[in-house]
Formats: sequence, structure tokens, C-alpha cells
Amino acid sequence: MADAFWIILVGALAASACGVIGCFLVLRRQAMMGDAISHGVLPGIVIAFVMTGSRNIAPMFLAAGAMGLLTAFLTDVLARRGRLQSDAAMGVTFTWLFAVGVILVTRYADAVDLDVECVLYGEILFTPFNRFEWGGFDLGPKAVWTTGAALAANAVFLTLGYPKLKLCTFDPGLAAALGVRVALWHYLLMAFTSMTTVACFESVGAVLVVAMLIAPANTAYLLTDRLSIMLAIAAVVGVISAVSGYLLAYQLDGAIAAGMTVTSGALFALAALFSPRHGVVTRAWRRVRVKTPG
Amino acid sequence: MSRILLVVPVLIAAACIASCGGAPGAADTGRPRITTTTGMIADAARNVGGDLVEVRELMGPGVDPHLYKATQGDLRRLRESDLILYNGLHLEGRMGETLEQMARRTRVVQVTDTIPEARLRRPLDMEGQYDPHVWFDVSLWRLVVERIRDALIEMDPAHREVYARNATAYLDDLDELHAYCLRRIAEIPEGRRVLITAHDAFGYFGRAYGIEILGVQGVSTAAEYGLQDITRLVDLIVSRRVKAVFVESSVPPRSIHALIEGARAKGHEVRLGGELYSDALGPAGAPEGTYAGMVRHNVDTIVEALT
Repeated sequence: MADAFWIILVGALAASACGVIGCFLVLRRQAMMGDAISHGVLPGIVIAFVMTGSRNIAPMFLAAGAMGLLTAFLTDVLARRGRLQSDAAMGVTFTWLFAVGVILVTRYADAVDLDVECVLYGEILFTPFNRFEWGGFDLGPKAVWTTGAALAANAVFLTLGYPKLKLCTFDPGLAAALGVRVALWHYLLMAFTSMTTVACFESVGAVLVVAMLIAPANTAYLLTDRLSIMLAIAAVVGVISAVSGYLLAYQLDGAIAAGMTVTSGALFALAALFSPRHGVVTRAWRRVRVKTPG
Repeated sequence: MSRILLVVPVLIAAACIASCGGAPGAADTGRPRITTTTGMIADAARNVGGDLVEVRELMGPGVDPHLYKATQGDLRRLRESDLILYNGLHLEGRMGETLEQMARRTRVVQVTDTIPEARLRRPLDMEGQYDPHVWFDVSLWRLVVERIRDALIEMDPAHREVYARNATAYLDDLDELHAYCLRRIAEIPEGRRVLITAHDAFGYFGRAYGIEILGVQGVSTAAEYGLQDITRLVDLIVSRRVKAVFVESSVPPRSIHALIEGARAKGHEVRLGGELYSDALGPAGAPEGTYAGMVRHNVDTIVEALT
């Protein structure tokens, strides 16, 4: 019971932290940023290993965060200076960084087991076992603190920066004309994206993070046309995915992160079919009603 | 908006209540429950514990420890264990950290922690970074079995004598197995003692039994193999007229097939020597489903293909 509570709580915290940031990524056509960062961190992992000679999580975490930021930065440089579409820029950046990482692994760390899977990505299932202890006190699972801190940081950032972020996202030209520093807000958003992604990787693993950056935000996108409501819906959909995904995995004795990812996809499918304004079924139904004279 | 967000705590509470009712717990037999990560450790614990203990492994037959995904049932198994045994030396990745942390509350033993550092392989020559595949040197695995014996006695001192007796008998078997490996490998003509497999899991095996080990990829099964690795190995196979290369049960055989094709293109026929067990045991019930059976299978396969 207590175990289930902590796992669901961490899943819900990670899902909503990723969900709200994901809204901005989806609107800016950078939804795959999470996937890009999950691959882009590899060179950082190898460099941290070669420099510190250990596979401890702290140096890995810092290096991964820095590489995540570099992935976002390079993507932006390629998209704006190189005049590429943002998806193309992202594709070029992360495959390149990942390949650099693979070369570094084979060159410097061939003989040890070194990959993101075993040194960085966490397993949400082990949440209850990894405790955060301070001064001899047990303060609950560490992942609750990590994902909770990510969510809190995102909440503060998005609340304070909301008007400017909204303007920069929907109309960067107007924002610049009004004197908003578009590039600054972009990099702040990318910094928070990178921080959220890496923190959640460390707590719940990669698949769940990539999914939670995209699926809840897209579901929310189909259900509303207002940004503030979209953020709230994304967070709630993230939580519903976490809860129902846990129950699914529990019933099938499957991997938990996979269960949560599956339910987030199912919720998106429901929204795509039945969304009041954009749903496939609802629109077909409206057409039928218009044709048959009542 | 705040009304939307109010759903959150309600949902979490509901899910917790839903999942707490009627957990399908294992039938309580009253015997101490031991959970291990790999099948090799489970086999050793079964041999030492006999009927007195109940042993379950998390990573079943054919499961690559690098790709293992924990399930809800594994969590319960770990929770209900009286003793948890794991390999360590980073074999279990980040799960190793979790188990290390659990040691403060539960009885958790890293079974390789009594192996003297001098006997561990350090492929990168870095402090603290060791090759985790110790089970391929039977004389090292002997130390692991002794460690497991001591852990069982500490957990259940009332049956000290039974555990000690079981362990002694099993250690004798292992000594015999060690001698068998030495004898069989020595049957291969000296120039042909080279074992080529998909990943570098056999370092300890090579060192203990005097056979050169060449792998296509590094220790991590996730690392990609390089083009040069393949070309270099193909040249070596052709120049030394190596008769066979091997695939492993838990690693995809792709790279090994590339070697065979490469050698054929250069006019040398190298055949597939068979499947070796590396990071996991064979299916339960089969001879390869036990540690001793797996080692024997590997040695026999290697010797038959190379002589």
C-alpha cells in the first residue's frame, strides 16, 4: 500500500512536471525534445566517467543536465541561424551527439558497462527503496523530492514568466516588437526542459519522460484552445495516466513505466476521437446532424 | 482551473486503495525467502539452502541483466525477502545502488564482496571499475558460494550445520568442475585456443583456463561494435585458421554472423561453434538450467568446435 502510494506519487509528479513543460514544446513544434535530450546526454555520461573514474550518479546527473542544455542550444542555433525546420534541427543535433557518445564509449570506456540505461536512467518501481536521508532522518523516497522539485521549479517559472512565454510562443515577432527578449525566454524554457527531463530520467527512466512530455500536452491541446486551461489539463491528464498506468501494470505484472506510457497514449486516443471540437467521432456526428433535417 | 486540479489527490487515494486490496501474495510456507538477481546466484543459494529455503531469481533464463525490466511482482518479492543476494560490480546497473541502500533495512548481501581485489579483472585499469562476470572462473565462484553459505547461516543460525554440510558437498562439486574445465580446454591444440564471441563476458574464463578471448563488442551489451573490430577479427580468424566462433544466449547474434560472412569472403570457412550461456542460465529443468550444467555446456561446446 505504502509502496503503491510512493510509486504513483512519483509517477504523477514526474508526469505533471513534464506535462506542463510539454505544452510549450508541443506549441513550439519541439515535442520530441525529450527524446532528443535522452540521446544527446550520452557524450556527457562518458566524459563524466572518464573525468571522475566512477559511475556515481551525481557527476552523471550534472553532465547529463549540461548536455541536455547543449542539445537544446544546438537545435536552436541550427533552426535559426541554419534556417532548418525545428524537427530537422533537432534530428541532426541529437543523432550527432549520440554518435559522438558512441564513439567516445568505444574509444575510452569499451571495457566497462557504460550506457545511459545503467548509469543514469532510474526505475520508478524502486522508488520506495531509494530513500532521502538527511542528518540521520529518513525523509521519504528520494525520487519524490527530485520530481517534486522539478514540478515546483516549473510551476514557479511558468507562473512568473507566463505572459512573456505565451507571447513568445504564439507570436515571437510581436514579442520582439514589444521589447520582450525572445531569445532569453527561449533559453530559459530550454534550461527548464533540460532540468526537468534529466531529473525525471534519474527518477523514472527515459520512456516515461519522453511520453509525458508529449502525450498529455497533445491531449490537452485537443481539448481546449486556451493556454492556461491547456496547462491544467496536461497536468491532470499526466496524473490520470500515472494512476491508471500503475493499476494496469499492477494487474498485468508488467513494467510500471510502460503501463503509464500506454495509458497516456490511450487517453490521447480518446481525446482524438471524442474531443468536443476536434474529435474525429464528434465531427462526424456533427456532419450527420447537419445533413439530416430535424 | 483549480477545480480541474482538485481531481489529483482524489485519484491517487483511490488508486492506492484499489491496489492494496487482495494482493496475490505468495503462499507462506514459513521457510526463509531468498531473492537473487541472477540465476547463477539463485542456483548457488538453492544448492546451499536445500529444502530449508525458498529461492527466487529476478532475472530468469535468457534475460540479459542490462536489459532487465523490473515488474510489480519483483517489488513484492524484494519486500517479502528475508535475504537478498546480488552480484554487484555494476552488473545490475543502477539497481545495484538501490540494493546497496536497502542493506540498511533488509539483509542484503553482495556475493562478490569477499573476492580479493587482486583477483578481480580491471579491464580499463581504473580504480573500482571491475569486470562483473566472475562466475566464469569456477575457482572465484567458489568464494561466492562460501559467501552465500555464511549469509545463510547468519540469517538462519539454527540450521548452521545443514548449510555448512550442503556447502561443503557443493564446493567439492565445484572443485571437480574447475578441474574438468582445465582438463577439457587443455585438449584444444595450443595454437587454436582462441574464443571469439559477441561481447567480452568471458574474460575470467580465459584467464582461468588459458584460452585467448576476443569479443566483438565491449563489456556493455549496449555498446555498438566498430567496423575495425569486425575487420580485425576477420583478419585474425583467417590468419590463425580459427575453426569456430560462438553466439551467446542473451546477446543478439548479428555481429557474429558478420564475422562468418567476412571470413567467407576471404576464402576461409569458419563455422558457428554453437550457443554459449553468458549472462543468464538456460531454461529451468534443462541441464544448462544450473550453474554447473551451464559451465559444462560452455566448455564442451567450445572444445568440440575448436578441436
